[in-house]
Amino acid sequence: MADLDFTVAPEDEEVEDLAEGEAMEEAERSGKQLDPSDLRNTVLAKRKGRGFRDTSRDEEPGGNVRYDSLEDGGGGGAPAAGAPAKSIEGWVLFVTGLHEEAQEEDVVEAFSEYGDVKNVYLNLDRQTGYVKGYALIEYAVEKEAREAVKALDKSKLLDQEIRVTWAFVKQGGRGRRGGGGGGRQ
Amino acid sequence: MAENMFYLRYYVGHRGKFGHEFLEFEFRPDGELRYRNNSNYKNDTEIRKRAFVGPAVLEELKRIIEDSEIMKEDDANWPPADRVGKQELEIKLGGDHICFNTTKLGSVLQVQQSKDPDGLRIFYYLVQDLKCLVFSLISAHFKIQPIQK
Repeated sequence: MADLDFTVAPEDEEVEDLAEGEAMEEAERSGKQLDPSDLRNTVLAKRKGRGFRDTSRDEEPGGNVRYDSLEDGGGGGAPAAGAPAKSIEGWVLFVTGLHEEAQEEDVVEAFSEYGDVKNVYLNLDRQTGYVKGYALIEYAVEKEAREAVKALDKSKLLDQEIRVTWAFVKQGGRGRRGGGGGGRQ
Repeated sequence: MAENMFYLRYYVGHRGKFGHEFLEFEFRPDGELRYRNNSNYKNDTEIRKRAFVGPAVLEELKRIIEDSEIMKEDDANWPPADRVGKQELEIKLGGDHICFNTTKLGSVLQVQQSKDPDGLRIFYYLVQDLKCLVFSLISAHFKIQPIQK
């Protein structure tokens, strides 16, 4: 496939060796089974930057670092991969495709149709000052959030089609199916 | 398949009176977002959070990165990490893999006066946009107010 087009930058061989070692290290650190395609990608990807030669960042113990997570490790059966995950105070939606001149009021107005909007994050492009194009919308009630997704995904806001999906999902996908993933949780 | 592999990591930090103070976040290909924020100021302890974001969040991240054209830049002429601190941005996207580092950038003026103002400006604003997205995600999900905003 086309991914064979990517060859190691011909600067020096050291880079390649480093790449492979680092990928292994990375896999070890995360306690995750390394997908062979990931490894190949890591080795064959075109690499650029001084960060690859900087070893000082590896001083962190890394491997057994514990992260707080809201996932309770499954009471009540295996969660469906990609199913919406509850945030600490409610359900958060991720909106994309927003018009750069959209105002918070426009967004709140549209989403309030489906329930009580607890929080809105409408971030701006730091350089231009216009809306970056995405927003986070929080509902306290799952049903309301679900209805907003159903009604507003692919709808138009200020003449532009927006996409509305869940910002956070249950852990699923590759990590769980692989049967490995012992390092997690 | 492998071409679509997307990974992002950003680190900013320094070592000083209050130990190793830093902020680091990463997005993994399966949507896992990891976040660390550490300061020993007033015996503060490290904050570590993880969550899984939906595919739309990763797509939006990719869009932001692609629009910025950061992958075309090179950090060769950027001011190196120093006592003030270090920033590091690692991205794998579309078969390219960058890992750029530089010092902490205090202002646009510093960017302007560097040897590569155009490239460094892209980095400067991209990092702000990335932090902005991550802080919103983390605070929406966990209600945490991060340091180094």
